[in-house]
Amino acid sequence: MSGSANVGVHVDHARDEDPAKMAEFEAKINAGELLEPDDWMPQAYRQGMLKMAEHHANSEIIGALPEGEWITRAPSLRRKLALTAKVQDEVGHGQMLYRVSQDLGKSRDQMLRDLITGRTKYHNVFNYPAPTWGDIAMIQWLIDGAAIMNQKTLADGAYGPYVRTMKRINMEEAFHFKSGEDMVLTLMSGTKMQRQMGQEAFDRWWYPALMFFGPPDKPHAEQLPPMRWRMKTVTNDNLRRRFINRFAPAAIDLGLKIHVVKKDDNGMVIERKPDENLRLDETTGNWSFTQPDWDEFYRVIRGNGPCNAKRLALRRFSYEQGRWVRHAILRGNAGLPPAA
Amino acid sequence: MSNVREQSHPSNGDLTSPAEGDLKPYVVFTQLNRGDPHMYAGCVDAADQQMALQFAREHYGQDQKCVNIWVVPKEAVTATNYDTDLIWRHTDQTYRLARGYSKPVKDKWRKLRRAEDLKEYEKDDLKETF
Repeated sequence: MSGSANVGVHVDHARDEDPAKMAEFEAKINAGELLEPDDWMPQAYRQGMLKMAEHHANSEIIGALPEGEWITRAPSLRRKLALTAKVQDEVGHGQMLYRVSQDLGKSRDQMLRDLITGRTKYHNVFNYPAPTWGDIAMIQWLIDGAAIMNQKTLADGAYGPYVRTMKRINMEEAFHFKSGEDMVLTLMSGTKMQRQMGQEAFDRWWYPALMFFGPPDKPHAEQLPPMRWRMKTVTNDNLRRRFINRFAPAAIDLGLKIHVVKKDDNGMVIERKPDENLRLDETTGNWSFTQPDWDEFYRVIRGNGPCNAKRLALRRFSYEQGRWVRHAILRGNAGLPPAA
Repeated sequence: MSNVREQSHPSNGDLTSPAEGDLKPYVVFTQLNRGDPHMYAGCVDAADQQMALQFAREHYGQDQKCVNIWVVPKEAVTATNYDTDLIWRHTDQTYRLARGYSKPVKDKWRKLRRAEDLKEYEKDDLKETF
């Protein structure tokens, strides 16, 4: 589901690169051509793309964890089948993105180990808890919705293997989003208790969804390497504005109230009040809103979010428990029947 | 045929030179534009990968715009069996497809939203879906 919008791609300006090759590289990018792994590219570009694809891959497999917990507790067989399929999709996205990353020069095992030991990051949004079925609905509507918005723009990027992977991922994301929308609509058209569950989950996920697109833009973001080299094609703030313009009016029509919230250390809402800045500017067509708490964003990124330790502990558990399986496969002795 | 050739190569009976065996088959994939997927184009027979590439350029790279070619030894391709391997789902699996939700979602929205608001909101839906 996840996009890689909040990965800080700090690309150093390519000082030591051959100027002729640099010029050719930038001309290709400006002409809208796709770059392939064997093409010449500045070291900073290769490293930046690797960091982005690896972060995205990590996010896909960590993102499956909170949702996977709810498979056994889904409210109907159809929802259970859908959630199982979604979790399977997300892990598949992780596989595709690790493949892209491997072609950029890092081994998959090293990436899995770096994730578990905290040397690399995954998307912040997965450090929040999903205590009810309402959260599963809101994650699929808001977070997958945000991911689609982001990934649609990443599919206009310049790095061929990543662009093709985004297109394929987006086709599957459409199912996640639609089924999430269906769940949210069902909850909000339901009993008082269901609507309350929807509202409380919305209060937990609205701000993580706004933070999904990453911190506010740096000055002149369009001229910095991630945009100039079409690793990204739309800035964080522009994506966030698109998201709010689409989802704020939809939430209101669903009967949801948009709150500014205060959360405890477990990510549960302890205080909420209506967002007084929320209104539509009729002249620009844009919604104004109260900015997320960016201190919280950086606190969670540094590992102090409600679920950071829990998510990594589960990943570590399955990596270590799965060792015998990888061991058997690597030695060509996995016990699989021969291919026909 | 000249007398000389007729005499040195009689027109019936076993060949005097031994059987030589075949070249190896290679599967060819062509890419029509940079960034597109490589698509199965056909096969060539060649002695090695370089020869296979050369033949593939001649056979499959000349009749339409083509920017890149892959060749793979046919023996390296492992395939499923049409009769015994079921690949595509044969039960209703619309629960895992976006279109499985389009109608119920639209019906539910219609009870809650004005048509033009819904239309605006749906603009950001993905057009290409499974």
